[in-house]
Formats: sequence, structure tokens, C-alpha cells
Amino acid sequence: MSLGHLLLLPILIPLAAAGLGLLLRKQVTLQRGLSLAAMLGSLAASGVLLAGLRAGNSPLVWQAGGWPAPAGISLVGDWLGVFMAFMAQLVLTAGMVYALGARDYAVRYPTFFPLYLTMTTGLTGAFLTGDLFNLFVFSELLVISACVLTAISDDRYGAEAAYKYYYISLLASMFLLIAAGGLYASYGTLNLADLAQRIQAVPSKPLAGLSMACLMIFFLVKSAVVPFHFWQPDFHAVSPTAVSAMLSSVVVKLGVYGFLRMRTLLFIPWEEQIGQTLVALGLVGVFFGGLAAIGAAHAKRMLAYSTLAQIGFILVAIGWGTPLALMAALVFTFNHSLIKSAMLMLAGAVASRAPVKSAAFSVIQGVGKSTPIGGVLFFLGMLALAGIPPTNGFINKLLVFRSAVEDGQYPVLVLLIAGSVLTILYSGRAFMRIWWQPAAEEFKPKPGGDRLLAPAVLIALVILLGIWPQALLQTASLAADWLLEPLAYIQAVLGN
Amino acid sequence: MDLITALVIGTLFSIAIFLLLRRNVIRSAIGLIVLSNAINLFLLSTGAYSGRISPYAGQIGQPSDALPQALILTAIVISMGGFALVMGLITLLTSRYESADMDDLEGLKK
Repeated sequence: MSLGHLLLLPILIPLAAAGLGLLLRKQVTLQRGLSLAAMLGSLAASGVLLAGLRAGNSPLVWQAGGWPAPAGISLVGDWLGVFMAFMAQLVLTAGMVYALGARDYAVRYPTFFPLYLTMTTGLTGAFLTGDLFNLFVFSELLVISACVLTAISDDRYGAEAAYKYYYISLLASMFLLIAAGGLYASYGTLNLADLAQRIQAVPSKPLAGLSMACLMIFFLVKSAVVPFHFWQPDFHAVSPTAVSAMLSSVVVKLGVYGFLRMRTLLFIPWEEQIGQTLVALGLVGVFFGGLAAIGAAHAKRMLAYSTLAQIGFILVAIGWGTPLALMAALVFTFNHSLIKSAMLMLAGAVASRAPVKSAAFSVIQGVGKSTPIGGVLFFLGMLALAGIPPTNGFINKLLVFRSAVEDGQYPVLVLLIAGSVLTILYSGRAFMRIWWQPAAEEFKPKPGGDRLLAPAVLIALVILLGIWPQALLQTASLAADWLLEPLAYIQAVLGN
Repeated sequence: MDLITALVIGTLFSIAIFLLLRRNVIRSAIGLIVLSNAINLFLLSTGAYSGRISPYAGQIGQPSDALPQALILTAIVISMGGFALVMGLITLLTSRYESADMDDLEGLKK
């Protein structure tokens, strides 16, 4: 058994546990224990993959059924894929811990945990697959699970937001199918490595440009980049806290992953056009997201808009595409996942203590006083979101700014710094409203709320990675180096 | 043959986009179904008719391409599950708001 077989584990463990969990829907404790064990197991498996990559120094590949690459379906674990999968598993495990300590009614829904696990499967599979059509299958699994999880939310508009999201996602999937059909008609393959090789050899097939545009739209919808963002704040604000913390942190990173793959592997002949588009859309996102977050009247909605802005920073860095900028994008992706999931969990935990279960500022104003620990954690998360040391947010902002200086992009740098100021405005305002301002007079906080263990662990990681970022930086710079050498990926998958 | 396939795909696409833009949620969901069928036909046209003999059957001659057929099979199954979900959500929403007009489903705007 080679290390490549291990690529299956982070995908299969949650899937198998989801199936078992469905059978155990009557035994609540057993189902919960099994789900947590499955998440920890697959997190450990992706940790082993990271260690294996570090030791082996070449991409891990597993060919389904032993069929060699262009004919069969391959799972590929290069640094980018495994890095993203590990990040997703880490945050999803924290989300599972939060869900186990949550007081939502949604968490008691018999299929909540199985759906959460299939969501994990879909996301991890999409990061690790080496086949375009397989990406469609995994992303559909992800979308359907996330949609049902939102439809059962405590918020009475859950079903409406789920319908909106599913409609848009289904349309986006149609774009992916058009891209897959166009690429298959032009190049006769759907294997990413094979496609990359053939596109580089003959970039001027008539359907290639159209397919690239359609693929781009799919990923733009997935990470809710500005002209395609309209479903995101509704959807992320009404889903159950444990789920919305995942959606707004790791699930939107599917698009980021896609842009990195498109830019550095699939469509290298067009990398300049892709880069310019991403820089422009990213800059619009930074300002639109920041300003919309300032105007939001709902804590979770504010954080969802803030995701638009933070994804904007990542896209700008991917758009520049220098080794330092790619490394900055990867570090930013990792850190933003930790910060944003912790912040959303804290907002949800405060809402669970409010007299009416809602995260609107008018309801949760002053509610934070009943949970001072939550206040300290939210304050640290706020520092991280704004990029103030000693948090990890400082490291990634600094990397993005440094890559701007290195690349000579001063006008963009000025805009990005202005965009960062917006971050501190909205997150600081939220902190003051929830923890400093006096509560409404008829307010009576509930005696308990969601457990704060998961956000505490995430914030501890945020501080740890701010003080000691070497391991993360080293991994990200290795991943960026690999991204710039697509030949190694292609050779590993196709075997020469 | 190619021309007929192209015309059918084009017609289906235009019907689908017309339906997608309806204000009635049920009609726009039907638009999604038509759209997915248009795309399935498009996938079929990318290679299924490169030969007329069934693949892997050992007959002599140019076999048809099996991959697009496998893709469509998967896409049909996934979209069937998806439409069941959409219809379920629509049933929930239309009975809650007692209307199928998109402008009436406005809980999230408040």
C-alpha cells in the first residue's frame, strides 16, 4: 500500500460515517460520538498526508480502480490540494465540536450530523480530485448538503435562503458542465493534468476560451466574488451557526482553490488575462464587502459581507501570481478560515444567549456582557481580522502588502490599505455594540448558551500562528513553489 | 445530423432561459430542468456520435465514445436529486407565503 491510497481516507471516512450515522438516527449519543470520531479520524488522515508530502517531495497520486491516468479517475494530492484539504478538515472539526455543544433545534435534526459529514466529503473531495467531472460531482454533494443544512435552520427564513442558494448553485454547476463539455469536445480529456498538457500544446481551439470563461463563472459563484455574491449574505446569515461558520470560512475557499488551479495549471497560456480579471474583481470585492459590512444591521450578515472583502484580498494576491503573492494568498486563505469561523461561532454563541434567537444588532446589543470570555475571544478575532499583531491576520496582510511592494503595484497597495481600514471600522463597531453598549431594559439573558470551546481553540490557533508562523509560512512557500512548476504535477499524474 | 442536434440544443437553451426569467418560482424551476436537458444534449453531442457501434462490445468498426454517455448518466442522476430538493423547497415556500410569485417571497429582504 502506497501513500497514495491514503488520499482516499479523508474522503471515505466522513462518507462512511455519514451512512452509518443515517442508520443510527435513533441513537443520538452514538451518532454524535461517531460523527466526532470520523471528523477526528479524517483530520488525522489529512495530517498524515501533509507529513507524507513533506517526506516524499512529490505529489501523491491514486488512480481509481488501477486504470492509468487519462482513462481513469485520479485523486491527486499535491501541496495545494492537501494544504486546502487539511485546512478544511481542521475548521470542519472545530465546527463539529461547536455543533455538539450548540443549543439550536437544527442540531437535533436526525440527519444534521450525516449531512455535515457529506458536506465534509464533498469539500475534501473537490480539493483532492484530479478530474474536472469529479469536481462537479463533489461540488454538487457539497451544495446539496449545505442547502439542506440551511433549510432546517432555526431561522424561519432558512428554506428561502436555501432555495436561493440552490438555484444559483445549480446554475453555476450548469456552467461547469458547459465548460467540461467544451473542453472534452476540444481536447478529448477531462483529467486536469492531461488537459493542462494539451491546452498548453494547442491553446487556440475555438471552444477553449468559452470553457475557460464558464469555469471562471463557476468558481466566481462558489467563492461569492462581487458580481456573483448576491446569494451569499442571506445564505450565510440564516444557516445554523455551526454551518454558517463553515460556509463563510472553508466552503468559499473552493473558488480560491479553483482560481489557483486555473491560473497555475489549466490555463497557463491565459494566465495574464485571468490575473488581471482577478485583481480587478478582488479590488471591487474589498471595497464593496467592506462598505456593505459597515452598513449591515445583523452580526452574522456583517461577517458574511466581510468574507467578500477578505476573499477580495486573496484574489488580488492570486492575480499578481508572483511566488511571494501566491504564498501570501495561501497563508491568507488558511488564516482567514480560522479567523472567520471563530468570529461567526462567537456571533452565534452570543445570539444563543439573546432573548430572541437572532444575531441582529438590535437584539444582541449588550448581550455580550453575560459572556466576558466570548468578548475577549471576539476582541482577539477582531484584531486578527483587521491584521493587528500579535495575531495571524497581521502576517497575511503583511505578506500581501510585501508582495505588492516587490511587484511595484503601489496604486493597488494604497487601495488595499484603505480597504483594511474598513475592516477595523466594522468589526470594532460590532464589538462595541455587543459588549460595551447597555442592553435594552426588558432584556434578560438566558442562563446558558452555545459552548465556547470550539471558538476558543480556533482563536488560540490564531494567536499561536501569529507568534510562531514559521511552519505555516514554510508549507505555503513550498506549495507556491510547486504551483509554479506544473510539469511536476502533470508528470506525477500521467507517469512521464 | 449535426445541424439538427445544434438546432435542438439552441432551441432548448432559449426556452430554458425564457422560463428561468419568469417571475413564477415553479416556472423558473421548470426552466432549470429544461436547461439541464439542453446541457445533457450538448454533452452527448461532444462525442457520443463519433461512431454507431456500442463500445466495449467486441464488434468491428468505429465504436461510439463511452465517456460522454457516462457523464450524462451521472449528470442526470445528480440533477434528478437536485430537482427533487428544489421542488420540496418550493412546496414549502409556496405554502408558507401562499403565492408562487417571486416578489412575494421577500422574507429575507426585511
